[in-house]
Parts: sequence; structure tokens; C-alpha cells
Amino acid sequence: METVKVDALGLACPQPVVKTIKALEALTGPAIVETYVDNETAVQNLTRLAQGKGFPVRSEKLADAHFVVTMEAAAAQKDGQTPVVCVADRRGNTVVAITSDAMGRGNDELGHQLMKGFLYALSQLDELPKTILFYNGGARLTSEGSLSLEDLKSMEAQGVQIMTCGTCLNYYGLTEKLAVGSVTNMYSIVETLTKADKIIAP
Amino acid sequence: MREKQLRLIATFSTATAAIAMERYCIENGIPGRLIPTPRQITADCGLAWSAPPEAEEAVLRASAADRVAIAATYQLLI
Repeated sequence: METVKVDALGLACPQPVVKTIKALEALTGPAIVETYVDNETAVQNLTRLAQGKGFPVRSEKLADAHFVVTMEAAAAQKDGQTPVVCVADRRGNTVVAITSDAMGRGNDELGHQLMKGFLYALSQLDELPKTILFYNGGARLTSEGSLSLEDLKSMEAQGVQIMTCGTCLNYYGLTEKLAVGSVTNMYSIVETLTKADKIIAP
Repeated sequence: MREKQLRLIATFSTATAAIAMERYCIENGIPGRLIPTPRQITADCGLAWSAPPEAEEAVLRASAADRVAIAATYQLLI
């Protein structure tokens, strides 16, 4: 499949969305469209554009102020009817606390599937959480080998803070294997939880 | 506001060592408690042993115990 790169670095909304729509309209068949941007709001708006068209979309933070949004465009988009949506920021002041790699109690195999589904559904919300905290067994979800990394990287690229308890990484031997977000400590965890408007603990 | 106290803080390189320290100190009556490593200190492990400064000798002796290895000690007002 053809890959089209759109350079929208240094551009503020709605320019990255406008450039990407132009690239979509110029397609002659199905293609992968990669848009490079330097701010999280642009990542959010490009993600919304892709979701509005029903295209699979993922995003990743490549470095500070450097993000890529990848969408799989099904076919040429020549209708010229795509609305340019530009919303300021999708993040509320909600904190999600993930305390285990399984959701609920009963059966862990089921619990792992539920947690994977929870993080996927979370990444699809219109209003993303401000922060996701991972502690105890939750640390496995942000480490190499986790099947939720794509969803977590997508949220990180849209500005969601992903923070994992350092003591927990150390305990499980995962210190060198953290694959998304940053390491935190108990003082930051307590501050984050106490300052939240709403805490979700699945 | 709670009044700060001078404490002896022992840090560890692994969480397992910190947990072994707690077990050893409780079993042997060494004063102190496990706390999240204070922010003023950089340590590999986020758990540290906080004890009254006068217990320094007993705390350091614990380092020789099985699986307990203290990485560093500090005197801190916390």
C-alpha cells in the first residue's frame, strides 16, 4: 500500500487537519497517510478526523514536540465535503488508576482481556483522561511485551500523562523495560490522585 | 503543619531488599519504618527505611543480613 507523508510540523490547528484532508483527497487508492505534527492538540484533531471517516488510526510520540499520526485511508476521498474540525483540547481532569494487569477478580485470563479492552475503549473516548497511573501489577501494562502499548502510545501522543510506579517496576524486574510514559514515585502518585476531579479505578 | 524530624534514611537498589529490611528489622526489634523514598534523595528503589538517627548502628548492622543490602544512608529532616 502507498504511504503518503504529510509534514505539518510548526503548524497550528486547523492547518495540520487541512493539509491532511488535501493529502486524502489527492489519493488514487487505499493508502497509509502519516502526518507529522509538533503539538498534542493537532494529534487529537487528526485522530478525530480519522475516526470520523472510519479509518483505523494510531499515533505515537517520537520525541518532545514531535508526533506522528498514522491513518489507513480506505479509498480516495474526492467528495470535498470533509468538515475541518478543530477543538482546543480533549483532556479533562480525570485520573485513571490502574492497579493490576487484570480487570476485576475471578479469573485472570478473563481479567487480562477485560483490561486490554478497557484501555482500548479509554483511548477512544472523546474526552481523554489527564493522567493514567500504573502501579503494582499495572506496571506490566506499560512494559515491553504488553499488548496495550499501541493504545497507550496513542493516548500519550494526545497529551495523556502515562506514569508508572518506579518501585513496582523495580519489584517486577521491569525497570529497563518501560515502553511508554515515565516513571513516578509515591509522592507524585498521591499528589495526582488528590488533585484529580474524578478518579477511575477499573 | 507537622513538625519535621531528623531521620536516618537508608536506601536500597531493589524493592526486594527494602522489603527484606523491613522483615529483618521487625523480627529483631530495630526501630524505624518503610517509607516511599523522600524526593530529596535519588535512589534506584522507591522504598526506604526511615529510623531515628540514634539507631544508626543497628540499622547498618541489618545490612549484613540475608538479602538486605543498604545502598546508602542519609540524615534528613522530613
